[in-house]
Amino acid sequence: MSTSARSEIFARLREISRKASAERIHQDRQALGSAPVPTPPAAEMCEAFLANVLKNQGSVDCVANRTEAVAAIGHYIYSHFRSHRLVAGNDPRLAAMPWRDAGVLPRFGRLEVGEPVALSFAQLGVVETGAVLTWTGKSNPAANNLLPEHHMVLVDTADLVPDMEHAWGRIKQELESNGRPRGINFIAGPSSTADIEGQLVYGAHGPRKWHVILMGKIPAEALSRARAIAAP
Amino acid sequence: MEQRSDTFLDNASEALKNVEQAKRRDIIATFAPLMRSAAIEGFDEFDTLRQHVKRVREHALDHLEYYLGQFEQQAVQNGNHVHFARNSDEFNSVVLDICQQHDARRVAKGKSMVTEETGLNSFLQRAGLEVMETDLGEYIIQRAGETPSHIVAPALHKSAGEIRALFQSTHDLGARDLPETVDLVAEAREVLREHFLKAEVGIIGANALVAENGYSMLVTNEGNGDLCANLPRVLIVCTTIDRVLPLAQDATAMLRLLVRSATGQAQTCYTSFYSGPRRDSDVDGPIETHFVLLDNKRSDILDSDYREMLECIRCGACLNHCPIYSSVGGHAYGWVYPGPMGSILTPLLTSLEQSHALPNACTSCGRCAEVCPADIPLPDLLRDLRHEENSRKLSAGRWRLGIKLHGWLARHPKLYQLSTAIAIHTLHLFGRKRGSYSSLPMASGWTSQRDFPAPQGKTFMQQYKARLKRLAEQRNEH
Ligand code: SF4
Repeated sequence: MSTSARSEIFARLREISRKASAERIHQDRQALGSAPVPTPPAAEMCEAFLANVLKNQGSVDCVANRTEAVAAIGHYIYSHFRSHRLVAGNDPRLAAMPWRDAGVLPRFGRLEVGEPVALSFAQLGVVETGAVLTWTGKSNPAANNLLPEHHMVLVDTADLVPDMEHAWGRIKQELESNGRPRGINFIAGPSSTADIEGQLVYGAHGPRKWHVILMGKIPAEALSRARAIAAP
Repeated sequence: MEQRSDTFLDNASEALKNVEQAKRRDIIATFAPLMRSAAIEGFDEFDTLRQHVKRVREHALDHLEYYLGQFEQQAVQNGNHVHFARNSDEFNSVVLDICQQHDARRVAKGKSMVTEETGLNSFLQRAGLEVMETDLGEYIIQRAGETPSHIVAPALHKSAGEIRALFQSTHDLGARDLPETVDLVAEAREVLREHFLKAEVGIIGANALVAENGYSMLVTNEGNGDLCANLPRVLIVCTTIDRVLPLAQDATAMLRLLVRSATGQAQTCYTSFYSGPRRDSDVDGPIETHFVLLDNKRSDILDSDYREMLECIRCGACLNHCPIYSSVGGHAYGWVYPGPMGSILTPLLTSLEQSHALPNACTSCGRCAEVCPADIPLPDLLRDLRHEENSRKLSAGRWRLGIKLHGWLARHPKLYQLSTAIAIHTLHLFGRKRGSYSSLPMASGWTSQRDFPAPQGKTFMQQYKARLKRLAEQRNEH
């Protein structure tokens, strides 16, 4: 790099920028407060999250515990691929699931070209956007989000946060205790494009299907209500 | 990119002759605004959000030296190389140097208007690199040897039929029909997937840079940008110095505005934050990462009366709502950025001499300002540029004379009212029978496309005064 480019740009910006101490600048930013958040489609968090996932063209399953989760995962893979195989990141939470009970054969690691389905355990689910959050690392190689035909994501109801502001609150805890992950990925739907005559097509580059499994204490009517909200 | 903004009027006439493309533009101009409205319906605080983000952007620009410095420091701490470039030439050279240091032959590129601005692709290609655009729209126009017609949806000017013929003639995949849009998308996916897996360098843009932690934000629906950011060995993030925001939540607050305004979604499929190269715990990701930050007159704009233009978040809403853009399309503007935002940015980033026709491509209807999520007073900035055009004598002499005359007349209300009354009365007398004029002296440009309705006989001021008088009389009677 030409160091003169850097110094010239900064010199120019120094001339134009307002003079203030770093502390003052931070105070000024704090004084601006935070942004308003859109009203969720339902007051109950699971219902609102599920409704937004459905609006994002995801498919969903609701399960109460890990045994039900592996059964639902096994059922999904078998019905789509007539197979019991699956790739999952090296996430201790996933390693501890009772796979054998459902006859699922997971391989832990990075998805290789040609493997059709991967499972991630989301760090968070964001109710506001119906997005799941993963960050890169051993427990979640980037390829597992991007390269499979179907991407399945398990979300614990305890990890639902109402909005992006709360999501950052939780992410910042991680950054402080474990350092900054290379990638922080909010995923809200199967890969899509409308670049040809505005017609929406799924599976542009990434997964064609995105399946979210919400696990935990979920009100009985949450899913049917969510479907009613998301129905066009 | 080569510029043709000086021939805007000719470009526009040419564009109007292409009936098929004009029809597609009409459809977009109908649907895009509807989708935007639907997306913000029920979000009662949308305008409060818009004002909040505007204050944050203003604050960030007021202290750009500080925040850019903070971003650089954090990004370096995250393991990145950070480069600065004053202009396109410096920018392109920095990127090429990085590619050459890694003996790269193939580059996978995500959507980036900044690199369109600097003409990066052709620069790298001249140096022997194979550069492939991976956003489907960008890929299509790259294959066709064209330029984007829209900042968000670059290939919407092309029909599915044209794209089919393009793929059939340029992809060496044997005989096939590709009957549906899904087939076209699937084929592009296949061709591009191979390129992703082979490319040594990935290039992406950034929707925002976060000063507090050195992350950059990338927003896409296709996921192509993420493949560029994760698969190749080297990642280069290309953006401009004005994209810095103080906090991570500022980036996602801006996102709430951007996505709704751009595509009418509440959230794009992929919103990703990248901090640097592969960590010890990572099993994939690039081993080296760079930021290349371009000025290219942004600091001049920051120091001018047009600084609000730097708050533009490139959503494309002003294009979708502009009657001129939807009539003539993006190519007529003759450079990278079209529509209202382009008519301001192009003169500022190139020169008013080369592009003074653009600020005139405005009906002053005000729709762009109404929908702009960054709350930029676009019509005011366009008017200021026209003013500059006039005072720097860039427009035709007869136009300036006409404006001068009009200005003089407007400053003499009595004379103005008298002359308009005579003109209106005359037009009324001669046009009474037919009801309209199919041609008028000095207005042939207007009447060549439509008839001029014959006035009813009285000017606005005459009617207004008569009404005032009547009201005064009624009041006296009471
Ligand atoms: S000027 Fe406003 S409406 Fe136009 S692209 Fe920029 S942010 Fe969007």
